Amino acid sequence: MADKRTRDSESPGGEHDSDGKIEKQPRLEGNASPRDDHGDYGEYEGDDNKGGVDDEENRGGGDGYDDDDPYDDGAGGDSANIYGKYEYLDHTADVQIHAWGDSLKEAFEQAVQAMFNYMTTDFSTVEMTDEHEVEAQGEDLQSLLFHLMDEWLFAFSAEPYFIAQKIEITEFDTENFRIKAKGYGEEFDISKHPQGTEVKAITYSNMQIHDSDEKHEVFVIIDI
Amino acid sequence: MVVRTYQDELKYLERINSVTWRIKKGFVENMNVEGMFFVNEFLEKLMFDELKQSCRSGGFGGFLPGMKQIGNVAALPGIVGKSIGLPDVHSGYGFAIGNMAAFDMADPNSVISPGGVGFDINCGVRLLRTNLTEKDVLPVREQLAQSLFDHIPVGVGSKGIIPMNAKDLEECLEMGMDWSLREGYSWAEDKEHCEEYGRMLQADPSKVSPRAKKRGLPQLGTLGAGNHYTEIQVVDEIFDEYAAKKMGIEFKGQICVMIHCGSRGLGHQVATDSLVVMEKVMKRDNILTNDRQLACAKINSPEGQDYLKGMASAANYAWVNRSSMTFLARQAFAKMFESTPDDLDMHIIYDVSHNIAKVEEHFLDGKQKTLLVHRKGSTRAFPPHHPLIPVDYQLTGQPVLIGGTMGTCSYVLTGTEQGMNETFGTTCHGAGRALSRAKSRRNLDYMDVLNALEEKGISIRVASPKLVMEEAPESYKNVTDVVDTCWWAGRQAGGRTSLSGP
Repeated sequence: MADKRTRDSESPGGEHDSDGKIEKQPRLEGNASPRDDHGDYGEYEGDDNKGGVDDEENRGGGDGYDDDDPYDDGAGGDSANIYGKYEYLDHTADVQIHAWGDSLKEAFEQAVQAMFNYMTTDFSTVEMTDEHEVEAQGEDLQSLLFHLMDEWLFAFSAEPYFIAQKIEITEFDTENFRIKAKGYGEEFDISKHPQGTEVKAITYSNMQIHDSDEKHEVFVIIDI
Repeated sequence: MVVRTYQDELKYLERINSVTWRIKKGFVENMNVEGMFFVNEFLEKLMFDELKQSCRSGGFGGFLPGMKQIGNVAALPGIVGKSIGLPDVHSGYGFAIGNMAAFDMADPNSVISPGGVGFDINCGVRLLRTNLTEKDVLPVREQLAQSLFDHIPVGVGSKGIIPMNAKDLEECLEMGMDWSLREGYSWAEDKEHCEEYGRMLQADPSKVSPRAKKRGLPQLGTLGAGNHYTEIQVVDEIFDEYAAKKMGIEFKGQICVMIHCGSRGLGHQVATDSLVVMEKVMKRDNILTNDRQLACAKINSPEGQDYLKGMASAANYAWVNRSSMTFLARQAFAKMFESTPDDLDMHIIYDVSHNIAKVEEHFLDGKQKTLLVHRKGSTRAFPPHHPLIPVDYQLTGQPVLIGGTMGTCSYVLTGTEQGMNETFGTTCHGAGRALSRAKSRRNLDYMDVLNALEEKGISIRVASPKLVMEEAPESYKNVTDVVDTCWWAGRQAGGRTSLSGP
């Protein structure tokens, strides 16, 4: 079996890391701040099963990610939210992103980062050597979020093939529904970034935006 | 949306025979016609569990179960016959995946819905035959798998190797496989064995946004990710000698190649663009649907026509894409066996479309009608003697290719008259997902999945080994259950190919 993995990693389709080792590299810090008010989200755990609960322990341990290979701990891809304030919920064919933050702006930023994280199986390989900027315009909050994510998906799918590690919304106008956002990352390179899942489209499917004093969170289903 | 208990929901469902269920009007609001779905006892449990789960969640979070979606489609303006769920049906965007619905072109209120086609326009399966045997391939199994992987670009972010510029792309969108033929990537006879002869004539590249074209240009000739694959298969069992012979499937142990892919980012963007437009049109034209995801426009409105033309262009792109990969697969085989694709008899058996809307003639209550048939995650299955199927298959019926999952068998069926009458000549398209991707990731380990394939003697090359569990056989319904259900429901099994290979 070891042979097989070596062969896989030599394939020209990308120098895939052949086993779990790479997962044990130190994680990025910064945006991995723990969700402090987890209790408030308890109601969602019903249908998303315990992805978030498992990771709560991870987060609780601060940066103690080195103890466990998250891809092997039974939490699977859900562990991805150690990078930020988001998680991936169950959907038969697609993926539902649940992102949150201290403000709606942050929740939007996190939703985009969640999408990028899905495109590679090792988000830590993405270096912030480059910048890219997009503008999005909507008619209401939902379409604003839709178009923001669609712009970033486009930046990834065509020139400049940009994958961002971090998104910063520089202008967030919820009166006229306009957003300017900057992404820090680099050109997606299959010889450097282990290929993840392809995002086909952003959808309005069951899109939810909750914005009140105590909670700022969004749900978006991406078609994959 | 009405929230009812699971017990109350069941009152709207009625079993007609061992594999057929009826969804009565009232299951969701405004149903114009009834719904129907086909499941055997194993698939039935999955379907009803989905409904049960949604009743429990009381409509918060989560998603609509496939049965409700079938009902919502039955409530669209202009639908005729029934809203039909095929055996591999599961929840999708707006329409369920494995859902077909026909709309009367003569009714001015009839609609077209991009959600009824899906994001991956003309995603489909193509089957090539060879004159090689299992014995020829087994010794070079690993090398052949590697060679195919080297030839065909796969996975997210991969770029095509077929030289293309913007003008070529325009021509692709307009000409479909005629472009591939002109450029030397496909054989003249390839077209004959494709739906629509590999080219939808209503295509108009000017209805495809620059954004979609920019996504499509670098990706032409790439396989994609997710459930897309190229697979070397071995004929395992032949159920109908005559039909199999007509397809050039001659003996057990014969090697075939199956390619599953679609229209890549171009098709995804065409769908996205049209959904944005139709959201607005629905307000303007006062079209009411039960579900916002069922964005649609009247077929004869400018937006409806634009979508049809854009969709046809994306469909052409998908055929060019499959043809490019056919070309690459033929090269890989020719090099490996130091022969030519011609001498290896690498002809296309057939090429089917899974996600498409087509204008077709059907009989409804004894009258001939022109219908717009949406097939999402389902396959056209025309009977013998139908004018739209190739001469070679006039006596057998159209070949229907049912791709299984990695490590399970696939099937080749043929269309029947009964299917034509009951489901507008439509059948299932594959196994159909049973587990969500997130659940697959949690429950399965990618090394276990790879080891299990190795044990079965299957060589595999994937772009994302760590995600292989998302596509593991355990994540899907059992394809044999799906095909058996089709058979019981009156469509017929022809040849059948099982597989080994990447």
